[in-house]
Amino acid sequence: MSDDLGRWAEPGFLVLASLADGAKHGYAVTADIAEQAGVTLGPGTLYAVLARLEERGLIEGLPAEGRRRPYRLTAAGAAELSAQAKRMQHLAALSLLRLGPASA
Amino acid sequence: MSEDPRLVRALVACYPAGWRRRYGDEYAQHLRDLRIHRRPALIIDSLRGAVRAHGGVLMDGNSPMTVLVWAAGLFTVAGIGFAKLAEDFTGARGSYTVLVVASAVALLALIVAAVPSAVALVRRHDAGAWKYLAVPIVGALLWYGVLRVALTISDGHGVHSAPNVAGFLFIAVTGVGVVAATAWAAATVVRRAPGKSTARLRPAASIAVAGGMAVATIAALVWGLRVRSGTPAVFHGEYGILATPFVPSWIAVVVALGAATVLAGLGARRQLTAAS
Repeated sequence: MSDDLGRWAEPGFLVLASLADGAKHGYAVTADIAEQAGVTLGPGTLYAVLARLEERGLIEGLPAEGRRRPYRLTAAGAAELSAQAKRMQHLAALSLLRLGPASA
Repeated sequence: MSEDPRLVRALVACYPAGWRRRYGDEYAQHLRDLRIHRRPALIIDSLRGAVRAHGGVLMDGNSPMTVLVWAAGLFTVAGIGFAKLAEDFTGARGSYTVLVVASAVALLALIVAAVPSAVALVRRHDAGAWKYLAVPIVGALLWYGVLRVALTISDGHGVHSAPNVAGFLFIAVTGVGVVAATAWAAATVVRRAPGKSTARLRPAASIAVAGGMAVATIAALVWGLRVRSGTPAVFHGEYGILATPFVPSWIAVVVALGAATVLAGLGARRQLTAAS
């Protein structure tokens, strides 16, 4: 994902992770990421990421509910998120292993 | 101020039209949900997003023709700068001729690359797109008017006098504005009527555009070096644009030509990627 999304890689991962448990509109994504990851995505950043993820077929917009449009993961988005999460898990485990007992 | 509709409208209006058509309504609601008027940092983030969105339009991998058009605009401005710099010199004619021929090749290649869009424009009967063709005509007339006014203002004044410098800047800024407006209009037409190109036409034409610009850039570089070796007094004197030192003017022209070449190269590469 990092190659495809460039500087949007990290916010992109956060948005994909937020959508993993169901469709959400923009404000709900922002609130979820702030609550779960402690990161505040500004509106310009969020919509740049949504546009990029949608363009790459990793998420899709659902019919608008009033003025809010929910987004959900596509199958490709779920696969991308899974691959990215495994890679991060591997890197985290490797880092802790190399740091040794002192890191525990 | 509780609903801040003007602020929300202004922030949404900062985004490109195509982006607004797709995301405008929901983005406006998102800004209202965030109570954006109370959060200056988010206002700045929204403005940065708008800048990025405009940059995305310019550098969009799906519209390499747009990149080529903007490269041609920058190349035109740099080329006019070179013509102004070289107008009083008779030396280094070989490099000058190479530059002119290479520029002509780049221009012809750009026209060839634009043919599919022109055909699509005629076939689609898109009345909305035709109005953009008036931009270069109106712009040229405006620029000519500015030229006449500037010449009247500066008439009889020394080269470094305030009226002459002001007149020159007036002409230059208007000229750059006209070229930019023309490039914007052309890019808009190309987006509205992208046209169907054969597999090789646009990639080949794009390579020729970038190649022509590259040769012209090298020719401008060589031209300056030959001026240095042939007429050192000119090279080290105040023979640049508006009787300023020669070297900064020459370097600025070469850098601008080089930047246009890099931009055209990016467009050509994306054209090749899109065709493969």
